[in-house]
Amino acid sequence: MGQGVLMEPSLEPSRAGSGADTRFISVVVPVVERADDLLALYLSFAAELDSRGEEHEFVFVFDGGFSPPPELSALSQERVNLRFLRFARAFGETAALRLGIERSRGDVILTLPAYFQVRPEGVGMLLEALSDETDMVVANRSPRIDGWLNRLQSVAFNRMIAGVTDRPFHDIACGVRVMRRTVAEGLPLYGDLHRFIPALALREGYRVTEVAVPQHPGNARTRLYGPGVYARRLLDLAAFFFLAKFTEKPLRFFGLVGSGFFLAGAVTSLVLLVNRIEGQGIANRPLLLLAVLLLALGVQLLGLGLIGEIIVHLRAPHRRAYRVRERT
Amino acid sequence: MVSIPPPGRATDQLDLSVVAPLYNESQNVGPLVEWILEALAGYSGSFEVILVDDGSRDDTWARVAAASASDPRVRGLGLGQNVGQTAAMMAGFDHARGRVVVSLDGDLQNDPRDIPALLAKLDEGYDLVCGWRQQRQDKFLLRKVPSWVANRIIRRLTGVQITDNGCSLKAYRRDLLDRISLYAEQHRFIPALSASVGARITEMPVRHHARRFGESKYGISRTVKVLVDLLTLKMITTFHSRPLLGFGTLAVPMVVGALLFAAMAVVAALEFQPSKAEALVFPGAALLCAGAAFYLLMLGLVAEVALNSERESANEIPTAWEVR
Repeated sequence: MGQGVLMEPSLEPSRAGSGADTRFISVVVPVVERADDLLALYLSFAAELDSRGEEHEFVFVFDGGFSPPPELSALSQERVNLRFLRFARAFGETAALRLGIERSRGDVILTLPAYFQVRPEGVGMLLEALSDETDMVVANRSPRIDGWLNRLQSVAFNRMIAGVTDRPFHDIACGVRVMRRTVAEGLPLYGDLHRFIPALALREGYRVTEVAVPQHPGNARTRLYGPGVYARRLLDLAAFFFLAKFTEKPLRFFGLVGSGFFLAGAVTSLVLLVNRIEGQGIANRPLLLLAVLLLALGVQLLGLGLIGEIIVHLRAPHRRAYRVRERT
Repeated sequence: MVSIPPPGRATDQLDLSVVAPLYNESQNVGPLVEWILEALAGYSGSFEVILVDDGSRDDTWARVAAASASDPRVRGLGLGQNVGQTAAMMAGFDHARGRVVVSLDGDLQNDPRDIPALLAKLDEGYDLVCGWRQQRQDKFLLRKVPSWVANRIIRRLTGVQITDNGCSLKAYRRDLLDRISLYAEQHRFIPALSASVGARITEMPVRHHARRFGESKYGISRTVKVLVDLLTLKMITTFHSRPLLGFGTLAVPMVVGALLFAAMAVVAALEFQPSKAEALVFPGAALLCAGAAFYLLMLGLVAEVALNSERESANEIPTAWEVR
């Protein structure tokens, strides 16, 4: 991840300290992998925000290989609050979101996929739900109007994630989310974690609400991906699971698995030893190879866990697992 | 996980901070505050009570806020979510303004009346005074036996002679808290971690009461986890500044095994006539051990490299104490 791009200091001053009634909404649109007609997208969502009297800006972040369509570029000449950022090569959605968040000015961030996922009025419903009681509002496309195959995939993915998060989400893959700037900046966003934003926020101690939002008809097309895409989702899930459970105690994971392997190897060796004493030859038995492999793996995993522990320990003075919400 | 530095310590220092983490202890908040204030009624210095609500799902926070509103010396700290006892205690420590900090359980099982005695003991020239629960009022098989075993192992492994590591009632000097950063579930290992930075530690008997309200949040499953954590503790207290030595120590039995098997291979080759395949077993075992030893040493080197950048910020100078 060439995240050096993200370290560039933001030039725009942030609009801090604005009153509660005059909020400014930054719509961050990562244009990654898939894009609908961006002009139509911009016009319909901007119209919705305008009709609600919300002050807003749109920040489109184009991943490598994407560029603003000419009509949208023309429009940006006359509208100050329509801005484009562009990666020189593909960095992915997480990096695009981070850049968009960093370079936007609003005290409320609305993330929007570059294609129609929800109907524009759904955004209004999310903004209404963002109150003092919640820090992030995520859309739950409901009722679903797409085919059974889409729904099946969605349900399967959400079920798997629900096993890992503190609280089940019904539509965690939906990219339409509203959050306060402080929340957006507090999220540990890197790698491919953007899919888990609600779960990350929850883990950081923010209050996350789900709001049912009507799905856009354009989102109903059946999607079937290649096996590589599903494999990557599973890896993302495994990464998130590991981060959620074991970042503070790697040896709990590596030690458990490693000592399991080592014990299995020791037992296998013992069986072989008994066989040998009984007079059987053991050198030509595959079991010997297995025993050797298990012992070696066990030692390796334990060693890796210890390295993890040392690194965690040395970083401890700068890290805190808690976040204070209220003080009296 | 948040990568922010702990909040800067307030300049208005107090003499004493009492920190109590609470998780779903709604009924206990009122009596706890009352008890602590009563116990400190005769205390001459300035003090504060910090109640840390560890993301409770009941109305603990409302009670904490109420207690805080009725007495300015009581401060509430509401965490965003349930992060566990260690992190909750850390939150309290980070926000404490006292030159001395006392921690105790929020479930009324510790007795605040022991606090003055702990403070007196601390003044004798210690940095950490650990409570030692007398006549422990817990289930025998589920709580006391595992705890007894765990404490024995901890004493053996760390050489720190504290009888009751699990007792939350402890008194710390601020200087010590600045030196240790607790994470994961390390609150059980505070004595050992403190000893590793050079603190002067002692223990004293304290009272223990049966639970009055609410439910215990512990189970026997944690004992297994404690054992894994002990290996970690040994590693970080002994070898965190020189991991190569730690991994080298682990490699020693492997080297011994390799030499042993090699010798046996030689003997076997000289003494009897094994089948061709049989001749592979001893050399193979020797190679496995040698390989593991080599691998561990290489890991030690990786650890050294990985730590090099962290070292600058890490606290490498052991704690030394001004002697009067």
